[in-house]
Amino acid sequence: MSDDRVTIEINGQAFEAPRGAMVIQVADEAGIAIPRFCYHKKLSVAANCRMCLVEVEKAPKPLPACATPVMDGMKVFTRSPLALEAQRSVMEFLLINHPLDCPICDQGGECELQDVAMGYGKSISRFVERKRVVADKDIGPLIATDMTRCIHCTRCVRFGEEIGGMPELGATGRGEHMEIGTFVERALSSEMSGNIIDLCPVGALTSKPFRFRARAWEMQQRDAIAPHDGVGSNIHVHVSGNRVMRVVPRENEAINEVWLSDRDRFSYEGLYHDDRLLEPMVKNDGEWRVVDWETALARAVEGLDAVRVRHGAERLGALLSASATAEELYLGQKLFRGMGCPNIDHRLREIDFRDQADAPSFPWLGLTIAAVERLTSVLLVGADPRKEHPIINHRLRKASLAGADVMMLGATREASNYRVAEQLDASPLSMQNALAGIAAALATSRGDPSPSSGMVAGEAERRIAERLLGSERAAVLVGPMIAMHPQASRLRALAAYVANASAASYGVLSLGANAAGAWLAGALPHRGPGAKPAPREGLAAADMLNDELAGYLLLGIEPELDCADGARALAALRAAECVVSLTAYRTETMMEYADVLLPIALHAETSGTYVNLEGAWQSMSGAVVPPGEARPAWKVLRVLGNLFELDGFDYQDCSSVLGELRERVANVAPSAPPHGALEHAEAAGGESVIFRVGSVPVYAVDPLVRRARALQRTADGIFRGVRINQRLAAELGLADGDSAAVRQNGTRRSFPVVLDERVPDGCAELAAGVVETAALGPCFGPMTIERE
Amino acid sequence: MPEIQNFTLNFGPQHPAAHGVLRLVLEMDGEVIERADPHIGLLHRATEKLAESKPYNQSIGYMDRLDYVSMMCNEHAYVLAMERLLGIEPPLRSQYIRVMFDEITRILNHLMWLGAHGLDIGAMTVFLYCFREREDLMDCYEAVSGTRMHATYYRPGGVYRDLPQSMPQYEASRWRSNKEVDRLNADRQGSLLDFIEAFTERFPERIDEYETLLTDNRIWKQRTVGIGVVSPERALQLGFSGPMLRGSGVEWDLRKKQPYEVYDRVEFDIPVGVNGDCYDRYLVRVEEMRQSNRIIRQCIDWLRANPGPVIVDDHKLVPPRREEMKEDMESLIHHFKLFTEGFCIPEGEVYSAVEAPKGEFGIYLVSDGANKPYRLKIRAPGFAHLSSFDEMVRGHMLADVVAIIGTQDIVFGEVDR
Amino acid sequence: MNKVRQYFKSLLLLELLKGLSLTLRYLFRPKFTIRYPEEKTPQGFRFRGLHALRRYPNGEERCIACKLCEAVCPALAITIEAEPREDGTRRTTRYDIDLTKCIFCGFCEESCPVDSIVETRIFEYHGEKRGDLLMTKKDLLAVGDRWEKQIAADRREDALYR
Repeated sequence: MSDDRVTIEINGQAFEAPRGAMVIQVADEAGIAIPRFCYHKKLSVAANCRMCLVEVEKAPKPLPACATPVMDGMKVFTRSPLALEAQRSVMEFLLINHPLDCPICDQGGECELQDVAMGYGKSISRFVERKRVVADKDIGPLIATDMTRCIHCTRCVRFGEEIGGMPELGATGRGEHMEIGTFVERALSSEMSGNIIDLCPVGALTSKPFRFRARAWEMQQRDAIAPHDGVGSNIHVHVSGNRVMRVVPRENEAINEVWLSDRDRFSYEGLYHDDRLLEPMVKNDGEWRVVDWETALARAVEGLDAVRVRHGAERLGALLSASATAEELYLGQKLFRGMGCPNIDHRLREIDFRDQADAPSFPWLGLTIAAVERLTSVLLVGADPRKEHPIINHRLRKASLAGADVMMLGATREASNYRVAEQLDASPLSMQNALAGIAAALATSRGDPSPSSGMVAGEAERRIAERLLGSERAAVLVGPMIAMHPQASRLRALAAYVANASAASYGVLSLGANAAGAWLAGALPHRGPGAKPAPREGLAAADMLNDELAGYLLLGIEPELDCADGARALAALRAAECVVSLTAYRTETMMEYADVLLPIALHAETSGTYVNLEGAWQSMSGAVVPPGEARPAWKVLRVLGNLFELDGFDYQDCSSVLGELRERVANVAPSAPPHGALEHAEAAGGESVIFRVGSVPVYAVDPLVRRARALQRTADGIFRGVRINQRLAAELGLADGDSAAVRQNGTRRSFPVVLDERVPDGCAELAAGVVETAALGPCFGPMTIERE
Repeated sequence: MPEIQNFTLNFGPQHPAAHGVLRLVLEMDGEVIERADPHIGLLHRATEKLAESKPYNQSIGYMDRLDYVSMMCNEHAYVLAMERLLGIEPPLRSQYIRVMFDEITRILNHLMWLGAHGLDIGAMTVFLYCFREREDLMDCYEAVSGTRMHATYYRPGGVYRDLPQSMPQYEASRWRSNKEVDRLNADRQGSLLDFIEAFTERFPERIDEYETLLTDNRIWKQRTVGIGVVSPERALQLGFSGPMLRGSGVEWDLRKKQPYEVYDRVEFDIPVGVNGDCYDRYLVRVEEMRQSNRIIRQCIDWLRANPGPVIVDDHKLVPPRREEMKEDMESLIHHFKLFTEGFCIPEGEVYSAVEAPKGEFGIYLVSDGANKPYRLKIRAPGFAHLSSFDEMVRGHMLADVVAIIGTQDIVFGEVDR
Repeated sequence: MNKVRQYFKSLLLLELLKGLSLTLRYLFRPKFTIRYPEEKTPQGFRFRGLHALRRYPNGEERCIACKLCEAVCPALAITIEAEPREDGTRRTTRYDIDLTKCIFCGFCEESCPVDSIVETRIFEYHGEKRGDLLMTKKDLLAVGDRWEKQIAADRREDALYR
């Protein structure tokens, strides 16, 4: 036996365990049940609930199993009379102040307190005095509190400190007067706050949208994959009576561990929004009519075919959602390629496609998600992981806590919840030069020739370069802001150079839940399935809209919100002869430009596959039946294929579509990052022009989450206005809360001004993907702000 | 030469003498039965499978509905199986209550049988008399459990509630004078036990009346003597139990041979027949009613003298009293968990049988440690009896089929289950 | 001798006459039957008949949508849907009992922590068309309102035993 292993005995059974492990860990691994409340395998040991008391030989008193490290030859008894009596007594104390709430408590039936009381507690109380009462706290629209039920296990407090990275909850008072709260009444702002619902062993913290709606025992648990970011968190969908009641995480150490972001947890509310399109609709002479599927499909085929006959197939275009399943994307491109139209794209928010020919086979992280926490230095370029990929951010945070240098290039909406080694608040305008500077610094220190002339490295850039070079496991991660940037191809090339020169891995934090799947499925104008060059190159998304095609097929998108330039998209769609929209929601805007609306199923209602950032294919089957006449989009696309009399559309089920796709991508491996021309930026435009930074707020990334009521009521979900920093405000003569007139491409809108020092100079942050800004121009581009 | 063909007759399932939903396909040579083929399954409700899908206690009510003329005895076998796996002993008072109600159930069953059997083979009056007594016993059922038939009264660890201290009474109406009402309520002035005692006092006389009508009656004897004879050896081979077995002269009664509850503390005799025909089985059942009456009287005496708890005091298994549940955290949690998840029974398997009125009613219970049975097998006496039907009726006349169905005391709730 | 006696007994129809005299005697005794439905047999306070939902004396419905009855119902006859009421309390928006499924085992009443769902003494009810025997929350509350006095009296009497 090596030195770092010890042998202990639990209930007479011998176990080998690593030195320093706690008794409860060994017992858990062996499947020996020890009751506990405060102990959680992902949190630090607090040992304050005392529920896990066990008898240890030669110890004068029972010891808490969660805080007792194993020692060689230790003999532990979890069910001895002493241990049982200790557990019973602790349980009695815990229940003294617990209210008689079980019948009205949402936790009832899945409550650890109930379970442990049944298993280890007394069956009758001796307590006759009054119970204490604690005022409920309002901690936001996601989490309901009933603080009288709290047993002070402090799991939520420790979650805030250790996982959420922001100590938002804490304990005040002591003894009977101890209370958990936010100190000052305010809402939790963590993007992972929903996890404290799962952590809370009692009903003190429960889900607000789920409140009183269902009991644990009446719901069925179905497996699914979260549909909002490229992480592909594993989730359980809890269903009762064909309604998604709630979403909880499914443990997967390789991806989301035991956590789940709030976006993935609460977005299910959008499934039941009033906007939901329940029946197929067609527009005849400007009049919308509800029709049956047959009529609607015939009308869609007729409309698209008319365009094909009159203008040629290349005047059609397919705009597909990057959050659609791989099967849907594959069938979408198959349908259009079958019709002879190469105009297919899912990169709706991107505008620079110059490097697409050399792009890797699919955008990926360059390493596994679990490997992120083992990195020793990371350079994040134009990424805001806290809001965009909360689970990746959690991994980055773990890396940072372990001593890694996390460096950020580009401003983030909110401060990081961990130590950032270097924060270079480059604006979108200066980002190219900053990145070029890092490249130059790397070249200099490696003794390479300068990648391009005229690049000068600043002090910060040099430090970043040094940290990257001196690191064992480094990575450069390129965020969504780069993809949306007008100079995206150049930024990518520079980032790839930086990664290459510093022997770091190059990775992409892409937009949408299934960007990798979309690339592999061939939902691109220049590449077919399996990253094979398309026989005929079509128009990319932005070009399709700029060229004003005659017919469009939309899959799961709201173009005015999901495209790089909402105004442009709307104009193009309005001018088109025929727009067929496969959509789960109907909106006023959509009724204006579309001709046929085909109701499709949303996440949790359809089977399908997502390919996540690390290239893992994760399939799920529908948890509920779609409402009304809505049908899974892959079925709609299949029938469209049949109606166009195309070959190879006779699928029996979703898995046969997947099978065909997997066959076609069988040999595709992630390929090297692009090597584009390295340039630095031209001088910025005129003085009066302010650059709009139109990043997408966390709860506006897709139509589903935009309709999740509770999320929309959080601080992140409320649109506050145009954010500028103090200097720009002073220049413009604006103060916080003033109304400002924003003008972009001839459209004028008024927004309140929000002062935010995190916005770089010369820029104004005006969110994209929200209704308020839909009529404006490009998300990234010049605009003007005036006093009103 | 004309071809001789057996005549095939479909008997039931809608025939009034088919006792529910029995369908017989009879092959007859003239009026003589050549072969009888009972078809079963028309009342199949998958009780065994249903029990696998719900917590233990929730199946108690379904046991009532197996042999729906001896409700509490079926419950008894089921709760006994659970108790044996749990290793618990219910309080003595609840054991006496259970024995008392088992015997009330036996009388109920035999009265039902006697009335229906008589009706089947031509004796109308006795049916009415039997139902008169059944009515009183049904009132006992209702007083103690709230329903006249499907009681759901036994629980693992005892019975749900103690016997009530009062009996409901008739109310005066324009159809009855006060004097008449007083007469009707004469036995209802005291507790349930008083009511039952009054019943046991008059019941032996009532049995005498049935016997006056039947035992020596020549028609009755002509219809039953020498009909459906089963030898003791054959009865054992066929898996008979209860009066069917004892009618053939085999002295076998689980209450004596494998005493459960307090059957070893009460005195009673086991009547056995001699010839193994329908008449002997009739005599056995009638005598059993007298013996049951005797047991009930002993139980009443004991129950009067020994008040106490009627269910074990273990809230991990039995929900706490309502008063406690409303004031006490631990009790509320136990109440909540017991009514949602129920309790878990340790891994293991057990066969528990009771001497039901029709014979040995058994429950084979397999637990995998969960809160619902892994497998539940019901051993219904009627099933074994019915499977010997062909043998019993072969060579008899068509009219004897009815007598033999009657004597087997078939109830399809338990045969089809 | 015995044989002779038996022969005469049989010849004189003695056993038949004994039986007939028994029935004749009953002809002149008061009847055991009652005139239903004008008259009813007595019902005990534990009687388990038609269900009802009760209210508190102040008119507030007792049911708090804890769903214990739904969980314990062996026949799955109870369907409950709940959500927060305007005042934030936990209430049902739907409480259906399908009487055609119900087996009247009384577990719902046993499980109810607030004495809301009860089984009353009513046993004479019927349905004339499909769906008539599906009791909704409104129907159940109406039964409770109408029979509250009787229901309360019965629970009081039974409280000693539960």
